[in-house]
Parts: sequence; C-alpha cells; structure tokens
Amino acid sequence: MKATQSPSWARIPNAIFGWFDERIGLTGMITALLHMEIPRSAHTYYLGGITMFFFMVQAATGILLSLYYQPTPEAAYDSILFIMNELNFGWLVRSVHAWGANLMIVFCILHMLRIIVQGAYKKPREVTWMVGMGLLFITLGFGFTGYLLPWDQRAYWATTVGTEIAAAVPFIGRNILEFLRGGADVSALTLSRFLGVHMLIMPASLIAFLTLHIIIIHKQGLADPKAREDE
Amino acid sequence: MSNEKSSPKKLLPFWPHYILSELIAWYIMFGILLALAALVPMGLEEKANPLETPAHVKPEWYFLAVYQFLKVAAVFNFLGPEAPRLLGVFLPMLGLVALMFLPFLDRGKKRTARERPLMLLMTALVLIIVIGLTLWGQYS
Repeated sequence: MKATQSPSWARIPNAIFGWFDERIGLTGMITALLHMEIPRSAHTYYLGGITMFFFMVQAATGILLSLYYQPTPEAAYDSILFIMNELNFGWLVRSVHAWGANLMIVFCILHMLRIIVQGAYKKPREVTWMVGMGLLFITLGFGFTGYLLPWDQRAYWATTVGTEIAAAVPFIGRNILEFLRGGADVSALTLSRFLGVHMLIMPASLIAFLTLHIIIIHKQGLADPKAREDE
Repeated sequence: MSNEKSSPKKLLPFWPHYILSELIAWYIMFGILLALAALVPMGLEEKANPLETPAHVKPEWYFLAVYQFLKVAAVFNFLGPEAPRLLGVFLPMLGLVALMFLPFLDRGKKRTARERPLMLLMTALVLIIVIGLTLWGQYS
C-alpha cells in the first residue's frame, strides 16, 4: 500500500477539501446542486441556461466598461470614443456588451415561449413562472437604462421617446415621466439615475431573482413534457 | 417528487451529462457573440444634442411594439378624446399582467402542446401581432 501512495504534495488539494468538508459539509452542497436527474424527454433546448450565460458575459464586459466610462453628459461620449479608439480591445468589449444585451433578451423570450408551448408553467411551477417574468422585466430594464449611457444622438432620443410612453399613463403619467428622467427633460440627472439603476439595482435584483428561480427548479426538477398531467 | 416515481431509464443525470451539453451550447453562443461583435461592431452616432431632433426617432426594438401600438391606438378616437391614450397604455399593460398570471388563467391539467391547440393558437396570434407591430414601427 505504501508503495502506491501518491507523494505528499499531491494530497494537499484533498486535504484542503477535507478540512472544509468536515466543517461546512461541502459534499452535501455539491450533491444537492449537481446530483439531480432530469427527464430524458425534457428538451429545454438550453434556452434558460444560455440566457444566464449571456448575463455572465454582460457582468464581465460591464465591469470592464465601468472602469473607463465617465457618467456625465460632458464626458460620457468622449469616454466611449476613448474605449472604442484608444483602449486595447475596447471596441470588442463594448460590441460584445451591446450584442450580448440584445441576445440576452432574445433568448429570454425564446425561453419563455418554450415554457408556454410545453405547458411547463402549470402546477406546481407557478412561482417559477412568475419569478421568470420578473427576470424578463429586469432584463428589459437593463436594456432600457443601458441604452442611454453612450450619450449619442440615438441614445438620447430613444430615451426621450421611451420615457414618453410612460407619460401616456392617465393622471400620473407626467409624474412617472419626471421620476424616470429626474426632471422635465433627459439631462445629467437622467444619466446618473439610469447608471445607478443599470449598475446597482438591476444586477442585484437579477441575481436575487435568478437564485430563487434556480433554487425552485432544483427543488422541483424539470417538467417532463411527456407526462400528460401533473405529477 | 417525480424523479423517485419514474423509472431510471427515463432519467438523465444532471452532472455530467446535462452540464456538458449546456457548456457546449454556451461555447457555441460565445462564438456567435464574438463573431457578431467583431463583424458588426457597435457604432456611435454624433454626441447627443437636445436641441436637434433626428428624423427617425425610435426606442429599442424590444419596446417598438408597445410604442407602435400607442401610435396605432389613435383609431380608438371614436370612443372619446381620451380613449386612444388610455387604451394605448392599458391594453399592452393588461396583456403583460395576463402573461404574468398565465398559470392561474390557464388552469387546464393537460401539458403537451398537441393537447392544447387553443393555447398554441393564441400564442401564435399574439406573436404575429407583436412581431407585426415591431416591423411596422421599424419601417414607418
């Protein structure tokens, strides 16, 4: 036995894992996360997972962009020009962030359509569905607030007409519009609050909703589309 | 839980089988994303000028359907002067609320697509309307 034993340094990873496992029960957590079984006939087409993947890409590229972005009407446009023209691979990171945003919305909608067609929102998965709708709204909110940040003509006027949709609400429409813009017009205040929502409120709420979404899915297992009724 | 009742033949282990194919899907998507970003890089228009409205102002594509519906809602004018604005905002909102509470509106027990033709028909109809409004908004 002694001859086949691995050298002492090779046992270090196991020893570290064992140290933590003994104290916080890592094995149980990993088993709970990974060792579930899914119905063979459950064709998810990976749509939800792909949406989550795009969110991870958005988080990574968004953090990189935030290192160079300057959130004032005077400096925002020039900082985007700097990112695109001077910074190594800045153009690529910004383009990936912009394309990733659109693809994330596309796959979020495709995921929703798949759930509708397969009837996977039915009992007992009503809560997962509603949390998922929350995720769709947050994703759209990400798009809406992020669009203004480059502060070019398209960004400015798309936000102007976008917030005007809210103004059509009877009685309180004007108040909603001023709340969104931080005043009567799209201004420096709009930029500040859109950035705050885009970089703090949206990511925090998306991570919270996504965690809940995945915990419930793990708890219930995937819906088997071949099962004709509730299990 | 359903997993315990079904026969083992019908089940696939999440790890590593499902995770592996999920990772392959991510890898392909990453390739598509990089290709799109490299071949069609995001442009930048002129710096924002609040005094100069461009000719064709539009919101992002995913808000175009609502935006276009708000414009089209002018046809409700025969119901009164406030009707277009009211209906233009409330009908899409009502649609979204209905979508949110879909599991409580559609309480049928049948799950497979083949057994729910009405649901599929309604989904297709809503999709056609939304895509139609989006295209209309884009090319008007």
